[in-house]
Amino acid sequence: MRPAIVRSLAIALVAAVLAGCASTAAPPEQRHPDDPWEPFNRSVHQFNRTADRAVLRPLARGYDRVTPDPVQRGVRNFFRNLRSPVIMVNLLLQGRGGELESEFQRFVTNTLYGVAGVFDVASAGNIDKPEGDFGQTLAVWGWEDSRYLVLPLLGPSTIRDSVGRGVDTVPDVAWRLAYQEGSFFLVGLNVVQMRAGLLPLDAELAAAYDEYIMMRDGWMQRRNHLIFGEDAELPDYDAWLDDDDWEDW
Amino acid sequence: MDLRWLLIPVSMLLALPALANDDPVELVRQTTTELFELVEDNREQYKENPGLLRDELADILKPRSDLIHSARLVLGRHGRGLEREQVEAFAEALSDMLMRRYATGLLEFRSREQVEVLPLSGDNTERMTRVRTRIVLDNRQRIPIDYVLRKRDGEWLVFDVIIEGISYVTTFRNQIGEEIRRDGFDRMLERLQRGEIEVDVDIEVDNSNAG
Repeated sequence: MRPAIVRSLAIALVAAVLAGCASTAAPPEQRHPDDPWEPFNRSVHQFNRTADRAVLRPLARGYDRVTPDPVQRGVRNFFRNLRSPVIMVNLLLQGRGGELESEFQRFVTNTLYGVAGVFDVASAGNIDKPEGDFGQTLAVWGWEDSRYLVLPLLGPSTIRDSVGRGVDTVPDVAWRLAYQEGSFFLVGLNVVQMRAGLLPLDAELAAAYDEYIMMRDGWMQRRNHLIFGEDAELPDYDAWLDDDDWEDW
Repeated sequence: MDLRWLLIPVSMLLALPALANDDPVELVRQTTTELFELVEDNREQYKENPGLLRDELADILKPRSDLIHSARLVLGRHGRGLEREQVEAFAEALSDMLMRRYATGLLEFRSREQVEVLPLSGDNTERMTRVRTRIVLDNRQRIPIDYVLRKRDGEWLVFDVIIEGISYVTTFRNQIGEEIRRDGFDRMLERLQRGEIEVDVDIEVDNSNAG
């Protein structure tokens, strides 16, 4: 059963990418500098949206409907706590000692007193909540700019962050279960609950003139903020004013 | 009897918004305080009549922002060859849309939520500066909101707002640029004026990035 699904998905994806030749992407010289593969990315985006509408969004809406808010929060906390080792490894690799300490405290506190992470006791106790992943680590190590890449089923990413994602599955408990025991329950539940968290964005996406650009843009800016935080540079405003006639305005 | 002295307080009131304009940090602090007080004092009234809040917001914000500059940044090379009137109409439509969005957003904040204005840091110049603020939510989450100002004719004016790293100008620029590329400036402007273009820069509470 599973190989058949994989095969038909693969065929749909190839078809989508081929169809992308006739897409609405801007000509190369007008493209966003970080998105030279826009036609390809648009096709994969289109494929992802179709898969989302058919499978993931209905599941997420069902989950959202039958699960009371406190339970959803508990599930979210549980997965955040489960990912804590991944975060700690990356904080260590990035030399962020102070935040590593907070994350360690948070992990111990929530695992012991928060019933395996379901209750976020640490936040109530004012312990910080840092974020860390291997894509970010690569950026800190010097791979700062990377091309935008939409991954099939997984969505917005860059080459750097795709590599990072793969590496992050190694210390990830949910993924270890999937690899070693063949049990995809945790991974699956995590995907559904995350998608449920994004449901409010659907209306905005639908209202966008170009949802591909809206998603790319939102993702890239947010990612940049997550990686560089306070030190993130301002947009290059001066480069956008290419018309000197207006200087006297 | 000479009543001209009565005019002095009135003219002082009129000059008030310009008072702090040497110092961008003070300007942002004053403005955010004013806005939050305004909303706190009249919340019920505004809920019934959002248009009222929008107008009062515009009165406070417009003299302190440089919307023509924002508009030029958003338009970029698509602004080439446009008449000044067209750019002004675009800036006006942009500002109406922003006021509408901002008014809805402000009403959602509650009084317990505090604003911190941080001292200047990073590379600020005589011409451009970034004022960082943090809104502290009920759950102690601190949302970074930065204002980018430029100096024009000796006055500091806001031209971009960056919420959690997402810049309004950048977001508009990419959305609207694409729309102009496909449909042309005039059709985009019509849609914007009719309120059919919405660009959201939302505060996402507790966003995780696992997967």
